[in-house]
Amino acid sequence: MKQKLRKQHQPWPQKKWLPLLILLMLGVAMVLALPAAATEVKPVYALVNCRLVPVSSPPIEKGTIIVRDGLIEALGPADKITVPADAEVIEAGGLTVYPGLISAHTNLFLETREQEQPQTAEDFLGAYTQAATPQQFPELQVFKEIKPKKQTVEAWHRAGVTTVVVAPNRGIFQGQSVVLNLNGDQPNSMVLKQPWALHVNFTTERGGVYPSSLMGTVAFIRQKFYDASHYALHQKKYQSSPRFLKRPEYDPFLEALVPFVVDKRPVVFQCNNQEDIKRALRLIEEFKLNAVLTGCNEAWRAAEHLKKARVPLLVALDFRPPNASIYNQQGEAVRKKAEAEIYPANAATLLKENITFALTSFGLSESSFARNLQAAIKAGLEPQAALRALTVEPARILGLDRQLGTLEPGKIANLILTRGDLFGEKTKVVRVLVDGILFNYEEKGQ
Amino acid sequence: MFSRIICFKKYLPLSFLLILLLTTWLLSPAEARTDTENSGPGSALQAIVNVRIVPVVGQEIPSGTILVENGKIKALGANLEIPAGARIIEARGLTAYPGMIDGYSSLGLVEISGVSATVDNRETGRINPQVKAIEALKYDSMHIPIARANGIVAAVVAPSGGLIAGQSTLVKLDGWTNREMVIKESLALVVELPGIRGGRRGFMGMGTQQAAVSTDRALAELKELFHRARMYEIRREQAAKNLLLPRPDFDETSHCLLPVVRGELPVIFSVQADKDILQTIRFVQEEKIKAIFYGVHQGYKVAGEIKKAGIPCLIGSLYDQPPVWEDGYDSLFMNPVLLNQAGVKIAFSSSSSSAAKDLPYHAAKAAAFGLDRLEALKAVTIYPAEIFGVDKLMGSLEAGKQANIVLADGDLLELGTRIEKVFIEGREVDLSNRYTELLEKFRKREKEK
Amino acid sequence: MKNLTRLPIFILLLVIMLAGSASWLLAAGNLLIKNATILPVTGPPITGGDVLVTNGIIKQIGRNLTAPPGTRIIEAQGKYLIPGIIDTHTHLALSGTNEGTEAITPEVNMAEVINPDDPAIFTALSGGVTMVHTMHGSANVIGGVNVVLKMKWGQPSEKLVVREAYPTLKFALGENVKQSNRTLLPGRPQRYPATRMGANAIIRRELLRARDYLAEWDRYEKLRNSKNPPENLLPPKKDLRLETLADLLRGKLYARCHAYVATEMVEFLNLAKEFGFKIGAFEHAWEAYKITDELLAAGVGISVFIDSWAYKMEAAEGIAYNASYCTQRGVLVSINSDSSERVRRLFNEAGKAVKYGLTPDEALKMVTINAARQLGVDRLVGSIEVGKQADLALFNEHPMSAYTRCDLTIIEGEVYFDRQQVIKEREEAARKGGN
Repeated sequence: MKQKLRKQHQPWPQKKWLPLLILLMLGVAMVLALPAAATEVKPVYALVNCRLVPVSSPPIEKGTIIVRDGLIEALGPADKITVPADAEVIEAGGLTVYPGLISAHTNLFLETREQEQPQTAEDFLGAYTQAATPQQFPELQVFKEIKPKKQTVEAWHRAGVTTVVVAPNRGIFQGQSVVLNLNGDQPNSMVLKQPWALHVNFTTERGGVYPSSLMGTVAFIRQKFYDASHYALHQKKYQSSPRFLKRPEYDPFLEALVPFVVDKRPVVFQCNNQEDIKRALRLIEEFKLNAVLTGCNEAWRAAEHLKKARVPLLVALDFRPPNASIYNQQGEAVRKKAEAEIYPANAATLLKENITFALTSFGLSESSFARNLQAAIKAGLEPQAALRALTVEPARILGLDRQLGTLEPGKIANLILTRGDLFGEKTKVVRVLVDGILFNYEEKGQ
Repeated sequence: MFSRIICFKKYLPLSFLLILLLTTWLLSPAEARTDTENSGPGSALQAIVNVRIVPVVGQEIPSGTILVENGKIKALGANLEIPAGARIIEARGLTAYPGMIDGYSSLGLVEISGVSATVDNRETGRINPQVKAIEALKYDSMHIPIARANGIVAAVVAPSGGLIAGQSTLVKLDGWTNREMVIKESLALVVELPGIRGGRRGFMGMGTQQAAVSTDRALAELKELFHRARMYEIRREQAAKNLLLPRPDFDETSHCLLPVVRGELPVIFSVQADKDILQTIRFVQEEKIKAIFYGVHQGYKVAGEIKKAGIPCLIGSLYDQPPVWEDGYDSLFMNPVLLNQAGVKIAFSSSSSSAAKDLPYHAAKAAAFGLDRLEALKAVTIYPAEIFGVDKLMGSLEAGKQANIVLADGDLLELGTRIEKVFIEGREVDLSNRYTELLEKFRKREKEK
Repeated sequence: MKNLTRLPIFILLLVIMLAGSASWLLAAGNLLIKNATILPVTGPPITGGDVLVTNGIIKQIGRNLTAPPGTRIIEAQGKYLIPGIIDTHTHLALSGTNEGTEAITPEVNMAEVINPDDPAIFTALSGGVTMVHTMHGSANVIGGVNVVLKMKWGQPSEKLVVREAYPTLKFALGENVKQSNRTLLPGRPQRYPATRMGANAIIRRELLRARDYLAEWDRYEKLRNSKNPPENLLPPKKDLRLETLADLLRGKLYARCHAYVATEMVEFLNLAKEFGFKIGAFEHAWEAYKITDELLAAGVGISVFIDSWAYKMEAAEGIAYNASYCTQRGVLVSINSDSSERVRRLFNEAGKAVKYGLTPDEALKMVTINAARQLGVDRLVGSIEVGKQADLALFNEHPMSAYTRCDLTIIEGEVYFDRQQVIKEREEAARKGGN
């Protein structure tokens, strides 16, 4: 086993077909260099002697799972699965295989923008007199903004995450998100769904431009949704006959909204506190949107509403009480206690209330994500449910449940191999497969 | 120049004399001032008869007489003989109280707070020991007659802003010029230490640089300034004795801090948090200066220490939120109650100009939360007089004191009570004010029909 | 060390907050208050009186009442029971006060931004306040739609909203909308309007627009309902800003107008006549005493401070007699706080009116039944009457006395503030902290 391990590059995927590759590249080098992945034939892997947690069915204590062409070919008890002749056998005794985790809301790979509070009058004037920040860009494709980095990908692999939604993070109508498989750093090969959803936030950016308040933001969103449906109707009527009608003026803003308002593609509302949840639900009801709520770390406080609404939830494992919250208004001791005891119980409460949800790492570093996940479980979230909330549930919400979320033949080979139970404190993710590409995180000497 | 400053204790007999001289001089052209038509000059003999007397110090007299002469209370009692020729003021149904003293206000410095042209209480910069409230005091402020009509006869007027805001003054609420109002031209230097809520009220809701200064740093800075002033004095003295020694250049700040470091001029520290109060007590003791605390929002938490240090407290406005939620919703109301119970000398303040008239209501609010009603009354009369070293002149109804008398149709601190007459140093003052004048003006419209 | 001893207090507060509301709910709005001096506001005082509350409604008022077993009994010997205080002008329990970027923003709605976690709700309760009109600020000529809330601390936002109240729209005139007390930031032009003329012109312009908007929809409806509507008939664009103003013109909304000086108010009355909209009340109305005839003729009330004045030029003639004199002239007057601090001593503010000419009864009305009338909820609250909601406050002295203190605040028969309870819990926490 040790020999096999040593063969693999650490931790980046091994280029097994390096000689062939070199030849190929030499052949075309004078014209252009092809990306390596494009010509790579992925190896067949057989992970043997491992514990399998398919999520969709009971765990298999001693099993084998075959991965071919980036997909799961077969899995089952060791004695029922024949290892194909062309498979590279990976001895995985003592390891558990789970479907890769999905974090359905992140801001990975985006340039961070400093949003410091101005401290002095001069700073404030400076910030105020800057060119007004646009509050809205629904047409923005975040895919075009991302710059994947190897280190980031690896860091999240170690937290068990293989699939992420990258959402834009500025303004009210923030733009459209993308679903990525963390299989490397080439955006085009990473895309699972582009675009996925329109993201809407109730928070405005600084600057004296309308809307500059929450109340203005709600009105602004409503007006734009009305405008978009009118815009679509106007175009339709005009196409049927321009008689008596002015030609609708082209409006890229509204144009971008139409698929979400009229054709009901998904709209994700970021809910920073309990009231945002109710605000979003009112909008969803008013405009009959196909919507998802994200953030929602105060979802337990709006449980009654959520039970009725049956809107999918992306619950961030962020336990910091929101600014408006009572837990933030009664002094540091109350705030700390709330962060340590009350907010971690959010997911457990939702589970008790039979509200289905996916968990996300939104707003968190990979280490606090792992830590908070354990805290949520400690606060009463059943591990089974936690696992579902990071696999099948997000896959379903993303409309990718045929591709992702469980260990089943035919699904994308996003797997994580852990030493110990996934949610154990000392558990380490030692291998990750994304789209069948193997990443090794086994530390030396282990 | 500093001989003009009237200070505590050391110069008390002198100041007493000065004030007496000053007041007799002021009172001579009495008819030119705010007397009502039928009132005699303050020097005339007057008898307020059939009046319930609450002298604040001493027993209440259910019905009695107060004799006023030469601006002072000549005698008071149940069965006084009324001398012939006295002007009789029938006061049946009324109660006589000593006039109230506002422990901290901006009367005469702030007229319309939103219009900077009418605001004179806040100098730029952080260190301003040289500015004096008395020198900007608008004696004909529209807020003064309103406060007076509520039974307030004297007030501390304090500058504000920065670390050293300037010199406060103690004035009576009557006079044709600012100088005529003076009781103590320079009462105390005002030092504003950082508050508990820090930069909440900064520039358009943003934090301010001032908020970044901690009380430690503010006190360290003061220590440095005081040290500099002391060294300045020594070096100047030595240079005066020995002409060969170089003489330090004139330093305005040190110059103006001399009365403070000599222990002549007290310092009013605006200080709120318990730990800041403790630090400030240490500072006061180390520096051997005279101190009065103002604001003291969390004073109740360290009441014992304040009592031990013997520092009196001017309670800040009760029209405020608790500084932090954890203190409890009623902490500002309970604060004077607990300080008083611990034996700390307290006085209430309006902390305002446009709401200076509300002074009695702050006291009553504390009474609503458990402060003994007589103590509440004392904390707007005799206690501030004691704190400011003028209790020989005012603060209670006693023979020999200034005739600062308020005749009220009910409890002095009660909201609905109407003040019928106010005497300041024996003179009945005009109770008409902007409120009554405007009301009368527009009532005419109704009458025209 | 100090922090350590205080920790249990925080924990306790937390427990009160979480468990407190639940335990109060157990009372389920059933109470018997005994032996109080009842000031019903709309009737003569009753000494030694009892009030029986069933399911949040006042069932019986009298002496020696009995309650079904299990009903919580509150002994109120020597105390004063009054209707819950109503504050007709606040900005509390909101996430944000102004959408101040544009001169008119009637499309915004305070009901969208309620924050039930605002500690000001508890502050209000501690002063016997059970209901507030919480409003858009005065940054612009036409602000937003306001909302009336009950101070049900610990309850979710939707349980706070009083749906029966008049829907109202905030207008503002004078110095705030002129931005005359604001330092102009470099590089920013002064916003229109900069004068009172401009403010009025904007209101007129927008109401004319709203009229056009209504006409446009009428034209569309007529076409749509005609015999042969064109196939490609397009409805007008829905404009939320004009929708709100159209509702004002339709009489569905009441204007609540922030105004200080007499001319502003006279001119706003004229605008109301010109466009036929209803005015709920003038806010602040510092110079109302100068135009009582006009107010009476128009039947418009005022919601004012008792004596907070001289903070800006237009408040420099704001005399403390305003509320009393207007009341005496027959104008409907309420006293407001406009502050998350003053709200807890609104009874003191009303009490001051006694000095300026009102009886204590008249003064108390200004923060109870008058306020209820101005908000259109006087059928439900504002006085202690059988059939009304049991929004009540218990004071240890006459509520118009300076020496009084609120001890208990009740909304719909549920105790939301109990001073004794607060003290008890504080002492317990201190005891635990001492160990």
